[in-house]
Formats: sequence, C-alpha cells, structure tokens
Amino acid sequence: MGRLIATRAGLGLLTLLAVSILIFVCTQILPGDVASTVLGQQATPDALRVFRAELGLDKPAYVRYFNWLFGVLHGDFGRSLTNQRDIIEELVPRFANTMFLAAYTALIAVPLAVGLGIFSAIREGRFSDRLVNVVTLIAISVPEFFVGYLLIIFFAIDLGWFPSLATVFPGMGVGERFYVATLPAITLTLVVAAHMLRMTRNSVLSIMSTPYIEMAFLKGLSRGRVVMWHALPNAAGPIISIVALDLAYLVVGVVVVEVVFVYPGVGQYMVDAVAKRDVPVVQACGLVFAAVYVTLNTLADIAAILVNPRLRHLR
Amino acid sequence: MKRHSTSGLIIDRRELMAGAAALGLSFGLRPAFADEAPKKGGTLKLGMEGGSASDSLDPRTYADSIPISYGWQIWNGLVEIDANGDAVGELAENFEAKPGATTWIFNIRKGISFTSGKKLDAEDVIYSLNLHRGETKSGAKDLLSNIADIKKLDTHQIEFTLKSGDAGFPTVFADYHILIVPNGFTDFSKPDGTGAFALESFEPGVRVITKNKGNYWKPNRGNFDSIELRYIPDVAARTQALISGQIDAGNRLDAKTVSLVMKAPTVNVVRSKGTGNRFAFVAHCDADPYTSNDIRLALKYGIDRQKIVDAVYKGFATIGNDTTVAPSMKYFAKDIPQRPYDPDKAAFYFKKAGVANAAMELQVSEGAFSGATDAAVLYQESMKKAGIDLQVKRVSGDGYWDNVWLKVPFCAVYWGGRPTCDNQLSQTFLSSANWNDTNWKRPEFDKILTAARAELDEAKRTQMYSDAQRMIVDDGGMVCFAIGDYLDGYGKKIKGTAPHPHYDMCDQRIAEKGWFA
Repeated sequence: MGRLIATRAGLGLLTLLAVSILIFVCTQILPGDVASTVLGQQATPDALRVFRAELGLDKPAYVRYFNWLFGVLHGDFGRSLTNQRDIIEELVPRFANTMFLAAYTALIAVPLAVGLGIFSAIREGRFSDRLVNVVTLIAISVPEFFVGYLLIIFFAIDLGWFPSLATVFPGMGVGERFYVATLPAITLTLVVAAHMLRMTRNSVLSIMSTPYIEMAFLKGLSRGRVVMWHALPNAAGPIISIVALDLAYLVVGVVVVEVVFVYPGVGQYMVDAVAKRDVPVVQACGLVFAAVYVTLNTLADIAAILVNPRLRHLR
Repeated sequence: MKRHSTSGLIIDRRELMAGAAALGLSFGLRPAFADEAPKKGGTLKLGMEGGSASDSLDPRTYADSIPISYGWQIWNGLVEIDANGDAVGELAENFEAKPGATTWIFNIRKGISFTSGKKLDAEDVIYSLNLHRGETKSGAKDLLSNIADIKKLDTHQIEFTLKSGDAGFPTVFADYHILIVPNGFTDFSKPDGTGAFALESFEPGVRVITKNKGNYWKPNRGNFDSIELRYIPDVAARTQALISGQIDAGNRLDAKTVSLVMKAPTVNVVRSKGTGNRFAFVAHCDADPYTSNDIRLALKYGIDRQKIVDAVYKGFATIGNDTTVAPSMKYFAKDIPQRPYDPDKAAFYFKKAGVANAAMELQVSEGAFSGATDAAVLYQESMKKAGIDLQVKRVSGDGYWDNVWLKVPFCAVYWGGRPTCDNQLSQTFLSSANWNDTNWKRPEFDKILTAARAELDEAKRTQMYSDAQRMIVDDGGMVCFAIGDYLDGYGKKIKGTAPHPHYDMCDQRIAEKGWFA
C-alpha cells in the first residue's frame, strides 16, 4: 500500500510538470500578450514596449519558463503580471472557496445520488426507478447556467428564500456561508447527481446477475438486504471512481456556475488570467487543478482497494 | 405613467426618453435636483461589469469601468466634467490661457490633504502628470503629448507650455488615468489620494471596499459612509441582484431586457442617451478597393442604420453619422444632414467606382463590441439590396485589438466618448494619430483641427469643427452607424443619479455624488 502511494505521488508530480509545460506552450500560442491585452484598444507601440520591458516579457519564452519553474520549486509562485499581486495570496482564499462549494455540493449530492441509485436498483423497472432516472437525466441535459437562472427566479426572486449573489467573503460566519452558497450547491448537485446515480444503479445491477447473489436470494433474503449487504461492496469500486471524477469536476469545472452566482472561486480567476495572458496565474491555477485531479484519482483507487479486500493482493 | 418618487423627482421613463431624444441631450430632464440637500450615511453597494481579477490600482493601466470607478473614489483629477460637458476645476481651483492658448496657468487648490496627511502642492501635480509622459505604459500618454513643458511657478501654481495652442486643453485632465498622487509615490497597492474615500480592502475580481475619510473637501459630495463595489460581470446576475435589492446600483444593463427591469418597482433606470460607445466599421483608405471614395460612399449609403439600432440595440442607441462626434457634444456639426439608407445611391456610387468585382470582406467579432456580428449581418443584407456583395467574416474576440483592428482593411471597432470634440477627433482622425484606424490622412484636416484648437473665437471655432466633421463624413473611411446609450440601474433609495454627458454611472462618480434618500 505504501509503495502504491509513493508510485502514485511520483507519477503525479511528473503529470504536474507536463501540465505546466503544456499550459505554458498554449499560452504562448494564444495571440497577444499581457501588455497588449491589458492596454487593449489604448495600446500604443511605445506603451507596449515599456510595459513589456517592465514585466521582462522581452526575454525568450524558455528563459521565462525556467525562471518560473525555479521559483515554483522554491515555493514561490511569483506575482501576477497584470497587477503585481502575490499569486499565492490571491489563489489560496479562492481555492478555499472553491473547495467549500465542492464540499457543500458533495455533502448533498453524494448521499442523494448514491442513495437514489441504490433505491433505483432495488426497485428496478418500477415506476419510481423510472421517475428518478428521467428527472436526473433532465437535470443533466439542461445547461448548468440555465438551471442556475431557474433556481434564481424561483428561490431568489419569487420566493426570496436565498440570495442570488452567492459571494462569500473572508470573515463570513460558517452558517452564512452555507446559506449564501445554497443555490449554487443545488445547481451543481443537479449537474453531477445523474452521473453518480446511474453509475451506482448500473454497478449494483450488474452484480445482481452473478451466481452468489442468486444464492443469497435462494437463502430467502429480501431484495433490499441482498443489495445492501451482498451486491453493494462489490459494486463500490466503480461508484467511488465516478464520485471522485465528479468531485474533481466540482473543483475544476464550475466556472459557469461561479459567473452566474458571482461566486469568487478559482475558475473565474483563471478565466480572467487567460483573457489577460497572465501566464504565472494561469500556471498556478492549472497546477492546482491538475493536483486536485491527481489527488482525487489516487484517493479513489486507494478507497476502492480499502473497501474491497480482493484488490489488496494483486495477482 | 408618471411615478413620483419621495424626492419629488419625476421620472417618467417614456417622457425621459422622448424628451432626451427630442433635445438630443442626455441631461434634458433634471428638475429639483439642486434644491435637494444630500444626506450622509449608509453603504453604497455597487455591482458592476468592466473589470477582472487582473485589475490593478495603478491608474496607468486603467481601461475599464470598475478601475475608473474606484480610481475616482480614492483620488481626484485636476479637472472634472460638469453636467453641461464643460471642464471645471477639481484639484485645480481655476485655470486660464494666455492669448494663443499655448501657455496655461493652473492654480492648485490649497488646504487639500492626502489620506496620509500630506498637503497637496504643485510638486505632487507635476509628478502625477509626468507618470503619463515620456517612457510610460500609460494609456493617457497620447493625450498629454501636446505638452512641451510643465513648470512650477510657486507652491500652488503651474505653467504649461504646449507645442500648439489648445483652447480646450483643461479637459484632457478629466481623463480617468490622470489622477493626482503625492510626489514620489510608487507603491500603488497602498493608494494615497485626496478623494472622499480611502481603500479598505482590494480583492480584484471580487470586490473593492472603500471607507469615507470624513470632511471631504467638496461640498455636498462624499455622502456615503462606505462603498462596496462588487464585480458582477454577468449581466443577468447583475440585473437580478439589482431588482432583489442586493445591490443599490448596477451599470450596463442589457438593452434587450431593460424594458422588463423598468417594470420592477424597486429600480430606476437612468438612460444617458447617445453618450455611450460609438459603434463603427472602419475601412482603410489606403487599401483597395477602399482607396476609392465612391466605394466608401457606397459603404456609407448601403447601411441601414435604423434597422441595426432597432434590432441589435432594441432602440437604445442613436444612429451615427460616420464620425465619432455625438450629437450631445459641443461642436457637433448640426448642419451636416444625417446620411440616410439609400440602396440606389449606394449602387450608383459602387458602379461609379468601376470595380465591379471588388472583393470586400468585413471582419467582425464579439470581442470588438457586443452585437458586432448581428450588425454586420444586417449590413450585409442591406448591401444586397443595393446589389453589392459584402462578405462578413466572424473572427475570434481573443487578441482582436492586436491582430485584427488597425491591421485588417475593413473591420469593426468601437470608440469611447471623449470630453471634447478635439480629443474625440484627434485620437482617431489626425494623420499622426496612433489609432488612425481608417488610415485616412488629410493634411487639410490636420490643419483645420490644429487651428480650431487654438481658436478662441467661439463662432469661428464652431465653424472649423463643423468643416472638420464634414470632411470625415464625406471622405473618411468610417461607417459609424450607431452611438450607444448608457443604461444604469439604481435602487429607488439612491439619489443624485443624474445622467452625465461624459460617462455612465454619473461619470463613474456615483460613489462621491450620490446619497441615500
């Protein structure tokens, strides 16, 4: 187990390095640089030259990349090119916000989706199974910004239960944070629940056709007991990996929801940085996102092994 | 449908618009404002578009509404633009020109303190102006390029020597980049200004909070206790927040939905008519086939401006007449007739040019301005009626200003409003202008514009500006088809929200101008 984690961590670091090179190359391919995008329509050749020299953009790209890499290896992510602010100081609170929203969503979505998935599996083919499937499929088919606006219309404007602006600020109480982030959390729940639900249902059902389950039924056990005690542990692997993937999505893929609800997460920060070609910020965000993916995937593998003893001893 | 608000201010939306339209003004109906004494207190919650997580406090990099707004909360300029569009002293107590308008004397206000306690003097002003001169990244560099020398006469007096006379010189100091900082100031992350408010917290892309310092030196201004400026880039989110009262004021309402917003009982919509961005398609006069003025006239006659205004801007725009000078501006040439949509004339000029197979491709992008693609497609349709084939190519908004504008022979552009006719024309149409995006270079025009600058006789000056505009309208490469309206939304409790001829949100100074009823 220890060796597995060590291998995974090493591979993860290599992935991060590859990601950082990829992002750097991509931002170089994009037209324009930070000086021309910040000055925009008011750029003059003179102003651009001064701005570029000030930021060191007149150096070759590979020199800038290795300077950056050297800084990162020493724990220094540098400063934003556009406003000279410390990237770590900007990124950490935003990342905390993103994690908060993802955790809040997971808190609602995971029990709900897994629970309903098991429920559907138990009641396979019945009306309630179909209803749950249809409703979640509709939810996943509608674009998330549209779901967001619908929730705002009903719960923020008509009923007035929740604020439409979900901005959380430093110094806000925990209860208040949960309160303002409710609508975006529900929106995201609707987006991710269908994945998890269907995966849970299908994994459980595929186990249901195996001989040992048949044996359990022949013993005279109820369908609910068979599903919960006999099928579920063996179905857990795929469920855990889909949950991990969805959690990763909740961290890295929610910029649209952030915009609709004006939530100060990493997504908007990264989009602004890409628009302004603020390469160090894009790099930092990219690394954080990649790290989240790698970590969650590793955790999913480890968890799958823990719940299923057969996977612990590789044959 | 008249509604009387508690202040006695009548805002009948239709009448406001009809009246403003009839006057061609943005400030037609402002009764009873001056009599009303502002009240102190409260936190103004602004929700705005026009900024991002990469915003900085350094005024040299300002380019959009949110930095402009916090810039004027914290700092002051030398002059500001009043409700009539005239330059009046801000940190300059007064100013006067020597005959010929090449030498200007500015008297700096006495007894003004920065947040740090330092007293304002001439050295501070000279240092601040020099931030935008010489080797600088400032967007205001071109504006100040006419200054040959700045000299301190005494502790509160400055003399400017200009390269050529400019009777409208003081208005350049109303530019939002040119903020007055203390002498030697370099660390913009800890701003030190003379404005009504001091920075409390700066989270670019999320919110900016400023607190009233008390005892603001301008009477009746700086009424709010604090300002909470939130970044709400999504127009639907901003509009909802305004209607539900989570913000007190929002900028750039969507023309497509603003009629619904007006129905909300909690919101006043303030429309500044024809002061917004000038939307145009620009052709390079030195690139074929646009070298022929007949082709350029065909381009101008072949566009159905009214249709674009109605369809793309839902009527919340004024039709343009091929220059960037808006009807609301002083020296707008009223004697030049509005160019109509006339397919026959377009066809006539196109034939006259004798380039039947001319390939004309218009490049547009939503990165140029929102609605550019729709406008271009309508343009294409209206040209078809004249038998002219105009290709429309939609390009990426990413890097548009870098790769398309100024480089492609026919493309979309917007121009912001400038405080004076001279600023407006010289940045776009002078032969030497960095941003001459039509490559239209006419020495006669340069001569008239330079002469008009120094002309102190009002009648002669008006005539000169009119001649200058006529040259652009008849010969230039710009098809300016619309001038947008600014649409601000305010909660009913907010007072002091008069439309301003310069910028939206009361010239982006709602923070220091407004108050709670």
